[in-house]
Amino acid sequence: MFHKPILPHPHGLDRVTVMQGQALASGDKNLEYSTVLGSCVATCLYDPEAHVGGMNHFLLAEPPPGYGGSSLDEHYGLYLMELLVNEMMAKGARKSKLKAHLYGGANVNRNMMKIGTVNAEFARRFLKDEGIVLMREDLGGTQARRVDFRPASGQVRLRTVEDRLAPPVQPTARPAKALGDVDFF
Amino acid sequence: MTTTTRILTVDDSPSMRALLNHALTSQGFDVSQAEDGIAALDWLALNEVDVVITDINMPRLDGFGLIERLREGSRHRDRPILVLTTESSEEKKARARAAGATGWIVKPFDPAKLVAAVRRVSH
Repeated sequence: MFHKPILPHPHGLDRVTVMQGQALASGDKNLEYSTVLGSCVATCLYDPEAHVGGMNHFLLAEPPPGYGGSSLDEHYGLYLMELLVNEMMAKGARKSKLKAHLYGGANVNRNMMKIGTVNAEFARRFLKDEGIVLMREDLGGTQARRVDFRPASGQVRLRTVEDRLAPPVQPTARPAKALGDVDFF
Repeated sequence: MTTTTRILTVDDSPSMRALLNHALTSQGFDVSQAEDGIAALDWLALNEVDVVITDINMPRLDGFGLIERLREGSRHRDRPILVLTTESSEEKKARARAAGATGWIVKPFDPAKLVAAVRRVSH
């Protein structure tokens, strides 16, 4: 189940690295998602009835010019959260059954604004607003983390790692592809 | 134009509804919100609206179903309906077009572009 620690897999696993800006979901028993987080946050979602899990990895960016919202661009975080939920539903999960874990959000660079904290707060607020139960979180601090997540079982392994292994703190830019453009029919 | 443009947004995510509400009310639009296609049909049975903005992936009745239902009757046959979705596949886009959508916007949305689109289709 979702809260159980991860155990070695007897037959080996296909390991997929979840990069910043990605949201992936699967019910494949031979799959393990893996990511290394500094200030970024990873959301792991799991539907214990459908045996489908998914992970995203994001870092909120500065807002576009003229946007009067919060200090970071929540549009993109929200997009990656929605993308994850939709990927889960496409694999057979139901939103009302989803359980969540949150990891990351460290303030690894003391000279920067507490960007990890802001990202963690966004993720917590999203889950609360959406009514998704937060089962476990390991957020904040100053150390980078590595998260391994098996989507079919919901098992998680969390380790702290050297900061140099975490991707550099670079808030996610909006996708190069011109998203937000309008196609009129 | 002296009258306020009335918009119904349809999205199952409370976070997205809040973001849309902020983006549109701050530009002077009169915004109402529904959480899925069924709730939108219930609301539209009793209220008038100038533009509908709908998500695709929703429980009970999705965006495709909502558009088809609205286009079946005469009352909403010409109502501008903008789809706002994380879906980027051409197949889904074509399906929305065939169902009778007016426009297609892929999230994450740009508030300025969304507002411009609403103004364009509501005139």
